[in-house]
Amino acid sequence: MATNELVNNIAHQHLKVITERSAQYGDNVWYTATFPDEFRSIQGYYPIFFTKDPDTGKFFSAALFGFEQGDNLFLTDNHWDAGYIPLTIQRQPFSIGQQTINDGGTSVEQRVLHIDIDNPRVNTDHGQALFLEYGGNSEYLERMADMLEIIHHGLLDNDTFIEQLISLALLEPFTLDVQLNNGTQHQMIGFYTINEDNLYDLPAETIATLHQQGYLAAIYMTIASQSCIRDLMNRKNSKLGI
Amino acid sequence: MTKPIKHIVIVGGGSAGWLTAAILAAEYQTNDYGLTITLIESPDIASVGVGEGTWPSMRSTLKKIGISETTFLSHCDASFKQGSKFVNWQKPNSQYYHPFTLPINYQEFNLAPHWLKFKEQVSFANAVSFQAQLCERGLAPKQISTAEYSFNANYGYHLDASKFAQLLQQHSTTKLGVVHILDQVQQVHNADNGDIASLSTKHNGIISGDLFIDCTGSAALLIGQHYQIKLREQSQSLANNSALALHLPYPEANSPIASQTTAIAQDNGWIWDIGLQSRRGVGYVYASAYCTDEQAEQTLRTYIEPSIGNQAAASAELRKLSFTPGYREKFWHKNCVAIGMSAGFIEPLEASALALIELSAKMVAEQLPANRTMMDIIAQRFNDKFSERWLQIIDFLKLHYVLSERTDSQYWRDHQQLEHCSKSLQQALALWRYQSPYHYDITQTESLFPSASFQYILYGMGFLSEPQHTPRNNQHISAQQLFKENQQRCQQLTSVLTDNRTLLNKIRQFGLPPI
Repeated sequence: MATNELVNNIAHQHLKVITERSAQYGDNVWYTATFPDEFRSIQGYYPIFFTKDPDTGKFFSAALFGFEQGDNLFLTDNHWDAGYIPLTIQRQPFSIGQQTINDGGTSVEQRVLHIDIDNPRVNTDHGQALFLEYGGNSEYLERMADMLEIIHHGLLDNDTFIEQLISLALLEPFTLDVQLNNGTQHQMIGFYTINEDNLYDLPAETIATLHQQGYLAAIYMTIASQSCIRDLMNRKNSKLGI
Repeated sequence: MTKPIKHIVIVGGGSAGWLTAAILAAEYQTNDYGLTITLIESPDIASVGVGEGTWPSMRSTLKKIGISETTFLSHCDASFKQGSKFVNWQKPNSQYYHPFTLPINYQEFNLAPHWLKFKEQVSFANAVSFQAQLCERGLAPKQISTAEYSFNANYGYHLDASKFAQLLQQHSTTKLGVVHILDQVQQVHNADNGDIASLSTKHNGIISGDLFIDCTGSAALLIGQHYQIKLREQSQSLANNSALALHLPYPEANSPIASQTTAIAQDNGWIWDIGLQSRRGVGYVYASAYCTDEQAEQTLRTYIEPSIGNQAAASAELRKLSFTPGYREKFWHKNCVAIGMSAGFIEPLEASALALIELSAKMVAEQLPANRTMMDIIAQRFNDKFSERWLQIIDFLKLHYVLSERTDSQYWRDHQQLEHCSKSLQQALALWRYQSPYHYDITQTESLFPSASFQYILYGMGFLSEPQHTPRNNQHISAQQLFKENQQRCQQLTSVLTDNRTLLNKIRQFGLPPI
């Protein structure tokens, strides 16, 4: 279980974060959340799909790392074998929390930086320090704070993006059938992708709107990212030695 | 006579009027048909607000009308209904389920004869379907990630009928262009051919129309009072003609919500018990020929005592309803169609009231006569179809009684008399002694009840169909596989589904995904 604490230079003065990539630090996940502004970086390495959060039923965009739970095909001995690591992976063990502050008599909700002190990356000996010797923020901590702001706005934008896809009937369920070299098959259900027939039938004005919103590029990058499934299969085959 | 049908006038609000208005308006809203739909509702008449259970058909009806399921569930205090549970019908301390899910692989394989060997170990419903077990555990029929109107296990709803009418009214008038007039109809004016030409209203003058739909409930203003079309009474077969009803609060805000309608047999009728989000709806349906209102009241108060305590049970306010069980000789006469209680009413044992409204409105919508000449042909077809459907309902309800082994009251002894069953039911019962109901038993294309429903009632009530021929061996193997598959499906579903309350709270918070 996570124990999230508001990052502060008193309680957390000596904390360090290990930034190596490894299953023991929780990187053995088979997908992570992403958002349209990140698709450009994602689509060269990972297939992008849409799926529902089982706790809320809400759609999110996902970058796929493997074909089954716990299976991250990019993870090789303390190393993540790709030119780009999605921000929602890089952010660990930080997250955004809400804090109510009193601003001249009115309470205002404000975003604050949280750290999960139970995360196995968190220790006092190894990795990146959060604070400088006299209590100032380290460059690392500043970078993580900026990253979480980007993720926060990116995920909000992703909600709008998906609403738009649904209202234009551009999302369709998709079953990913993967056959490995040794004949074993994986069937992955619960994923959605772009309905290309409906996309090509959209009237010019709608395309123009999507373009202005920045979503047209995101849609095409999603489609293009499907070529990464081949790379995932190759990784799976070679991991199994087949 | 070739004048096109341009204006439909619905008289009466309530769920019948508004559901009909919404179904008609949704059919033609995007059409360039130039059709106007007006609903006249009397501000002085409160709707009865009965019919709080639906069939699974309500899902496709709501979807077609264009109401989001999330909106519907929250607005109508609605919950999921996965079937009915019958308690003490066969004999004291007995119970069985009629779930909405068909037996596994039902289209291709009839498991009923194969269940006979295992009847001592497992109930029929549990052997062939997982749904009774979901109900016993109070589980929801879907997950928060399941799209609106889709399911893991087939379901309809329990709903607050007056809130439902409100939602339909709001949707019909703001989204579907239905004209709403709050006024009293004072007079009906005939045309030369006996059609209704127009209605006089108190404040809005004369309203003329091409087709009039009578949704005025048991008052039956047009079909009954104006046209004098008689009711075919069914008291001989189904004697229940009275009901006492009330709303019960839950003990706590997070009390569990039942997944089914529970019907508990009593000395002279049965008690319904349904769970909405914020309250329960409970009522006693009984036959006044067998018990007085006071006796019925006592039975109902005794039933609610354990839920709300002696004092509250003794003082709770009850609502009394009376009805004549039966249906009209004709539903569509001249240019007037009766939909809802004006067409007929029978005890709500299988929640047929709202389902019949959906079916009637759907047929009017899909078969809307192009002009007055066509109307008589369609009226004839409508009357044939719905007379047949009423017969099906009456036979099916009667089946619940005639199979009972209760001898503890005159009411139950009388209800088991075969001579009060229709010829068709008597024949079917004779046949079912040797073979189980299956596809051949359903001769109509759009039957109200699948043959599986007859299986659930028969075998739930302890009836046995003992075939004279032994099926081939390999059929036993297929049957074994299906029984096993059903068990696996049951285990899988019980591990992923949450209880109704948890899901409904999540739906209020996040909404169901539209796809």
